[in-house]
Amino acid sequence: MTDAGHLSFGELAEYWTSDLSPDEAGRIEAHVFDCESCAHLLAESETVRTGIGALAQAGGFQAFVTESLLNQLAHDGVRVRSYTLDPGDRVPCTAWADDEVIVARLRADFTGVTSVDAEMRFETGEQWGRVTDVPVPEGASELLFALPADAVRAAPEAPMHLTLSAAPGTSGLGVIAEYVFDHRGARERTAH
Amino acid sequence: MTHCTAAATVARVTGPDAAPLHTLTDGALAHAVAGARAGEATAAESELYRRFAPRVRLYGLRHLRDRGAADDLVQQVMLVVLERLRAGEVRDPDQIASFVLGTSRMVAVGLRRTEARREGIRGRFELREPAVVAIDELAVDGARLGPCLAAAKERERAILLLTFYAEKGAGEIAAALGMTPGAVRVSRHRALASMRECLETRRSA
Repeated sequence: MTDAGHLSFGELAEYWTSDLSPDEAGRIEAHVFDCESCAHLLAESETVRTGIGALAQAGGFQAFVTESLLNQLAHDGVRVRSYTLDPGDRVPCTAWADDEVIVARLRADFTGVTSVDAEMRFETGEQWGRVTDVPVPEGASELLFALPADAVRAAPEAPMHLTLSAAPGTSGLGVIAEYVFDHRGARERTAH
Repeated sequence: MTHCTAAATVARVTGPDAAPLHTLTDGALAHAVAGARAGEATAAESELYRRFAPRVRLYGLRHLRDRGAADDLVQQVMLVVLERLRAGEVRDPDQIASFVLGTSRMVAVGLRRTEARREGIRGRFELREPAVVAIDELAVDGARLGPCLAAAKERERAILLLTFYAEKGAGEIAAALGMTPGAVRVSRHRALASMRECLETRRSA
């Protein structure tokens, strides 16, 4: 609730989740029907909700994801190409013209690790990307890193090193695993 | 409301010294519609429609989970509301918001029950193009939303995708990410606040 007695954007956005009890939903509805500016904010939250859905369905995101999200992509007919890597693996990888999302299944021993940082570098040492505080659920044996096929197609054709390290301040220590993506650029299928 | 008071309200709404409609309270608008003779309060009816149609549509989007059905709900609800107001059947026009919400609940139940009615409704009622397009005018395009989602923290981005794309609840997300359901909801609030700030910044830019 804001100082002016209105519902916040976050509270209103909860309206679109499955977490709301009927009572909570009723409370939001009663407030929104009586408050035009809150209705406007609720509409804005709805566009964010649908926008995120549309973006995901178009494969336009980069994130560490879960199996359930991959299942949803499959359900929606999104073309996903997966590469599975054990620690130390070097895989030739590419994105075909009709791929929409590329997923790297990064296997490692995550015992005692609750969160990791991931860094991607070219062999020259130039950093291509870095993310921090990737959650690791208990018992996990792999992390799923999804990125848009467009981004892979646009990346330079050069080996890319991905390093997973235990995030500072969390359980686990140092480098957990390293992988190499021998990036071969974009590929077109040709008729024979 | 007595006839005199109603007439005075209508005069305020439609007369030469009329206050702009958008400055009136919902209750005053409802009184204006309720106290008017047929065809006298068209502007007030339109304003009432402009204000409430988007709210009814949002209600429909959540409960009917279909844009077409939500649009049907808007048409049915607003038709009932305006007809009941004109007929003097709304007991307390000052509480018009509650009346519209109650009507939305009632009609939504019916819509859910008989999906087949939807096609008939489209043909039967030909209301003017509603103001509900206002919602779509807010549409967040991918060009603005993509960078804002990319700028979110990794954990928060995963939560947003799982919530709004995979439609998972906090409990399931918590299990998948090794968090508690409470922490998921807190992170989601924080992520949404950041997203909104980012979108606002890009909108102004």
